Amino acid sequence: MTFPKFEYLAPQTLDEAISILEEKGPEVRVMAGGTDLLVKMRQGLLKPRTVVSLKRIQGLDKISFDRKDGLRIGATALLADVASHPSVRSHYPAVAYAASETANVQIRNMGTVAGNLCNAAPSADNAPVLTAMGACVVLAGPRGERCLPLDAFFLGPGLTAMEPSEILTEIRVPFPRRGTGTSYQHLSARGKVDISAVGVGVMLRVEGKTCREAGIILGAVAPTPLRARRTEKLLVGKSLTADLLERAGRSAAAESAPISDVRATASYRRKMVAVLTRRALSEAYERARRNAKKR
Amino acid sequence: MKAYSIVGRDIPRRDARSKATGSAVYTDDIKLPGMLHGRILRSPVPHARILNIDVSRAAALPGVKCVITGQDTPKIKYGNWRLFPATQDEYPLAVDKVRFVGDEVAAVAAVDRDTAEEALSLIRVDYEELPAVYDVRRAIRKDAPLIHEGSPGNVSVERKIAYGDVRAGFREADYVREDTFTVHPVSHAYLEPCSTVARCDPDGRITLWTSTQTPYIVQCLLASVLGMRENDIRVIKPFVGGGFGGKMELRPWEFCAAFMAKKTGRPVKFVLEREEELVFGRRRHPMRITSKVGFKKDGTLVAKDLKILLDGGAYNAMGPTATFLCGNFGAMLYRYPNYRFYGRHVYTNKPPASAMRGFGAPQSLFAAESQMNMAAEDLGIDPIELRLKNAQVPGDVIPDVATISSCGFVECLREVARMSGWNRKRKTHKPGRGIGVGCYSFISGGVFNWFNTQYPFSAAEVRAFSDGTVHLLTMASDIGQGSDTALAQILAEELGLRMEDIRVTSADTAMTPQADLGSWGSRVTLMAGNAVVQAARQIKEALFGAVSARFNLNVIYDFECKEGRVQARGRPDRGVSFGEAVAMAQKANRGEPVVARGYYTPRNKGLVTPAFSFGAQVAEVSVDRETGLVEVEKIWTAHDCGTVINPTAVEGQLEGSIHMGLGYALSEELRMENGRTLNRTFLDYKMPHAPDMPANESLCVDTYEPEGPMGAKEAGEGLVSPTAPAIAEAVYHATGYRCKDLPITPEKILKGMKK
Ligand SMILES: Cc1cc2nc3c(=O)[nH]c(=O)nc-3n(C[C@H](O)[C@H](O)[C@H](O)COP(=O)(O)OP(=O)(O)OC[C@H]3O[C@@H](n4cnc5c(N)ncnc54)[C@H](O)[C@@H]3O)c2cc1C
Repeated sequence: MTFPKFEYLAPQTLDEAISILEEKGPEVRVMAGGTDLLVKMRQGLLKPRTVVSLKRIQGLDKISFDRKDGLRIGATALLADVASHPSVRSHYPAVAYAASETANVQIRNMGTVAGNLCNAAPSADNAPVLTAMGACVVLAGPRGERCLPLDAFFLGPGLTAMEPSEILTEIRVPFPRRGTGTSYQHLSARGKVDISAVGVGVMLRVEGKTCREAGIILGAVAPTPLRARRTEKLLVGKSLTADLLERAGRSAAAESAPISDVRATASYRRKMVAVLTRRALSEAYERARRNAKKR
Repeated sequence: MKAYSIVGRDIPRRDARSKATGSAVYTDDIKLPGMLHGRILRSPVPHARILNIDVSRAAALPGVKCVITGQDTPKIKYGNWRLFPATQDEYPLAVDKVRFVGDEVAAVAAVDRDTAEEALSLIRVDYEELPAVYDVRRAIRKDAPLIHEGSPGNVSVERKIAYGDVRAGFREADYVREDTFTVHPVSHAYLEPCSTVARCDPDGRITLWTSTQTPYIVQCLLASVLGMRENDIRVIKPFVGGGFGGKMELRPWEFCAAFMAKKTGRPVKFVLEREEELVFGRRRHPMRITSKVGFKKDGTLVAKDLKILLDGGAYNAMGPTATFLCGNFGAMLYRYPNYRFYGRHVYTNKPPASAMRGFGAPQSLFAAESQMNMAAEDLGIDPIELRLKNAQVPGDVIPDVATISSCGFVECLREVARMSGWNRKRKTHKPGRGIGVGCYSFISGGVFNWFNTQYPFSAAEVRAFSDGTVHLLTMASDIGQGSDTALAQILAEELGLRMEDIRVTSADTAMTPQADLGSWGSRVTLMAGNAVVQAARQIKEALFGAVSARFNLNVIYDFECKEGRVQARGRPDRGVSFGEAVAMAQKANRGEPVVARGYYTPRNKGLVTPAFSFGAQVAEVSVDRETGLVEVEKIWTAHDCGTVINPTAVEGQLEGSIHMGLGYALSEELRMENGRTLNRTFLDYKMPHAPDMPANESLCVDTYEPEGPMGAKEAGEGLVSPTAPAIAEAVYHATGYRCKDLPITPEKILKGMKK
């Protein structure tokens, strides 16, 4: 396939970037690492007239953390930076892990967590944990900024609630309350470096053995990352026994709506939702109990 | 092992520096003034009659310089099996029918790629679709659609082997089992896609730079389809980024480039897309293998009856050779006193399968080795013990197939058992962990002359100079396997020179001596190596004569080339430098250059190969019993490749083989739906990545092959075969799931464990 010709702009401020988007209309695309965008362009799936790189915008690659505001991941922060950031690793281990398990070294050194979300692949590795943790994204547009929870962000494969002239500037993840644990579990049936056939992101908050809050997001088994609401309800208020986790796995599998493709069949995916949900819950539970003791 | 000074050493590869620095020139790097860019229009349907092709809009597009269809061409069929013209079933561009999704229908040359691509979309083809068939068992039925006139039942080639009395053998047997195995299509996935550049000189002669394993075959077949004389075509092989069997035929873009260069007077380049390679490209034959074996109670093999249906896709390509070889591989490794093989190469409406590393061995040995493991279990004999009991040994003769000279198979089995801790691990069984074995034997090039060449199989010319350098010219093709280095090592060894004294020119059909059948079937080291040795020996004779005369030595003296000198053996004082010796020989011959040619053609070596290699491999795996995911933790290999010319190169081949075998076993598969291949990119077609690779440990057992140069034979192609059966057995050991239909997927394991 031939690479379509396009205009390339690299503005130095966010305002400039937004006005370019506004001016050029729907034929323009924002680019962070380009690891999704350029591949799609080369395959002829996207033919933007203009590509606007965000990489020159000062400060957009920042990762910051404090206990009040929680974690903020800038739009051009690399997957590799998120994966290795000390605060992310200690307070958001599953976020760091998901970033570290995305793609391969080369892609992690170019691609971004924000790009992963904006690309809105059902299999996006960074979506489940962030959504489970109640993250929201800051969208800047000609009419100012708004903050949208990730739950409302994904609309379908490749589709988000962003307006064409909006730019995602930051991902905000609340500081986990005491007794919180998270986990990301994913697999491919075909080796260690592959697009996930199933991914499960979990957040649990416990008091003693009792579950107070549960977030369970299933990746790659529906058109968007899917919140397993019935399974979350099943857990809240209950004591997290091995038997309950097992049941939660089966319940999540029932809630999933996978398809068959070159990576895996629907029935394998569904079975794996059960296994990975149980494993994620059990890791999150371990971490939650440790977290409750720590402070 | 014999002592050598250059052979057997880790000499750095000649191409390493240019590849590492990016200065190596591949076909796509070639840019000629006025060069046009070609693209190919392919059939979107699996089977159809072409009613009409309208290229007028494409031809009118500004920038388009040439558009051709089958009707513009000489319409001459071609194929590698020239000895049997009936097997030559392909036109460079479809003439009457298309037979698979991707069949080449038309070609465009334009000032740039974008324009050529756009022009393709303007070509209108009217097809009358025909019923298609994708399954070999259906294809051989009487009511199946006929894919080629002249091949009733869609069987294009049959091969039978029979010796002993199979029926009597089975009557004698205490234990008989019959199994059917199926194996899937996989891609060569060479990193350099097929590429070619053609230039036509004003005198009408053509020069073709092309990414090929077989410049000579391309030269001959291109001449025949263009209706030209062979030597009016010059084929040059630049650096090649891998072939694995996928680049050993004349291909349509080579024809189109040459034909359109002739028509336009401008150079024409084609570079395939990865998507074209995966979706329409050659692949390893899927097969349906039914094998019946009989044993005595004590494990002695008494008979084997092997039937194979090769799914050839729409054209023969190298399928006939694969059919032929499957029968041979089925008879290897063990002593089958009674053996029968019936192989059929079947047409289906799918992209043609062809040669791919192992050439029928990965498929037939997956079946044979898996069955050996199953039989061992039923007979209550350890799988390695059972193999030792039946292993071939030096001197074994297989009627119609082989006379085995060097053979270290027994040593390989013993060594691999020792290295892997086999006995202990096999006995102490932990759920989810397993260990398994697989073996191979492979050829060192073929004997059967299906190409019907009138030349020797390999040739070498050596020119020696008075400055102490020599120039080796050979048509042998280095496609990344390292033959330029190995042949230079052999020459340096023979002439007592250093690597830096040797210049190599290879694979240019107008400059290097005729001929060489190419790089496939692991033929190069043995065949071209022998040609090099023969040429070098003639050079030595000339130099020895000159030095003998110079020192007025008694005729009983023997001579040697050693450390840059030519001298009487044991009398270094009676000698001169290599360069001085060359000058003397030249002067004695009134200035005539010191040049010699060597040739090799296997003779009196049966119909298959001059030498066999052997090996045994053990894989240890852990399996997640909930997800079915397999982790191959370690692989041990003991193999017999005769004298090792370059240990690092052999190790590289081994690791590459493990990588390919691992993918074949677990993750790689061209997924098909109604004749369409679904894997369009390397995201969809999953080769193992670095983190998937197991640790590995290997050992070369010490043997000497009398027919090989300095005792060498095949290394690195056969090795691709044992990995899948070894992993399959290890997975069985770990989970109780027995794979008879590759690949082994987590899903199959989970299903299999339930039973
Ligand atoms: C070989 C390979 C392997 C991969 N493996 C994985 C994997 O294992 N898991 C996985 O989840 N993904 C994988 N990917 C996909 C991809 O690398 C990730 O999705 C990556 O995080 C994308 O980030 P990016 O910065 O490169 O995005 P880009 O390609 O720059 O952008 C992606 C999309 O988001 C839009 N966009 C980007 N940033 C913004 C913004 N700030 N505001 C508005 N819109 C924006 C772009 O317009 C584009 O549509 C893989 C890709 C490749 C090529």
